[in-house]
Amino acid sequence: MTTFNSTLEAWLKLATCGLSANSIARVRTEIQQHYESAVQASLARGATSEVADRAALASLGDARTSNQQYRKVLLTSSEARFLREASWESRALCSRSKWPFLIPAAGLCAAVVFFVRGEHSLAELLLLGMAGLALLFASPWLPIYTPARGRVFRCVRYTWLIALVALASEGQPWMFATLLSTLAWIESVQISLRRKLPVADWPKHLYL
Amino acid sequence: MNLRGTLPTLILESLEQEPNHGYSIAQGIKQRSRGVLDFKEGTLYPALHKLESDGLVESYEGAENGRPRRYYRITKDGHGMLAKDRAEWRQVSRAVTLILGKA
Repeated sequence: MTTFNSTLEAWLKLATCGLSANSIARVRTEIQQHYESAVQASLARGATSEVADRAALASLGDARTSNQQYRKVLLTSSEARFLREASWESRALCSRSKWPFLIPAAGLCAAVVFFVRGEHSLAELLLLGMAGLALLFASPWLPIYTPARGRVFRCVRYTWLIALVALASEGQPWMFATLLSTLAWIESVQISLRRKLPVADWPKHLYL
Repeated sequence: MNLRGTLPTLILESLEQEPNHGYSIAQGIKQRSRGVLDFKEGTLYPALHKLESDGLVESYEGAENGRPRRYYRITKDGHGMLAKDRAEWRQVSRAVTLILGKA
């Protein structure tokens, strides 16, 4: 390996730092092709091999700036992991199995029991939780296959979740803040994924 | 001069002429602007990837002189976006000229 090849290697290492394996492969191939074209063009203009290599490397610009740019548009390793790990959840959610409906049904029965016993606040909390769960389990049957419909569904889901979290953590602001920040983190990763992936490549759970 | 934000439009314009690969797009922009617009490749490719994920360009594997190259071509949505950007640029350019005067 020549000095310039190892310098290009160092540039690529910095520019692809933190990206997912697929993103790294794509960037490496494209930049190497670009570098090769730039070297060939310089050699054709009569430059020496050393000058051509130096000019091609300089034309790539600052590797750290490129890394920042790439992170904005390509999947990072943590986002790729999030997508992989969320796939089991999406399979469960989008399986169109009717068994999960037993949970909200059982919850509804329990809510009725609590209401009859006079434990109204617990019954309300349970009713709200189960109504949201039923909506979540019903999502595979709902016609949510455009980004706009996904936004509407998410608005409803987040309204339910925030109301549930507020009720469950009544009088405990730290608990409300912790649960809310977890929700905010999950949604921020999903926003980034929605921005980076073409709509045609969105898994079902990104709509929800 | 701050020309941030113009790169995607320039890429779309370049691809409207013909499908091309990254190096050729960069060289085309540099030559047509007589060397004034010399975007670093490290910013060109992220812009191309963003245009691709927005559905404004699409990429495919091609070859140049027997060497594999990733080519990009403008999509129907890309043509629409370019027409909109051109109209906006003309409007802004006219407005700035009114203030700064003609060169």
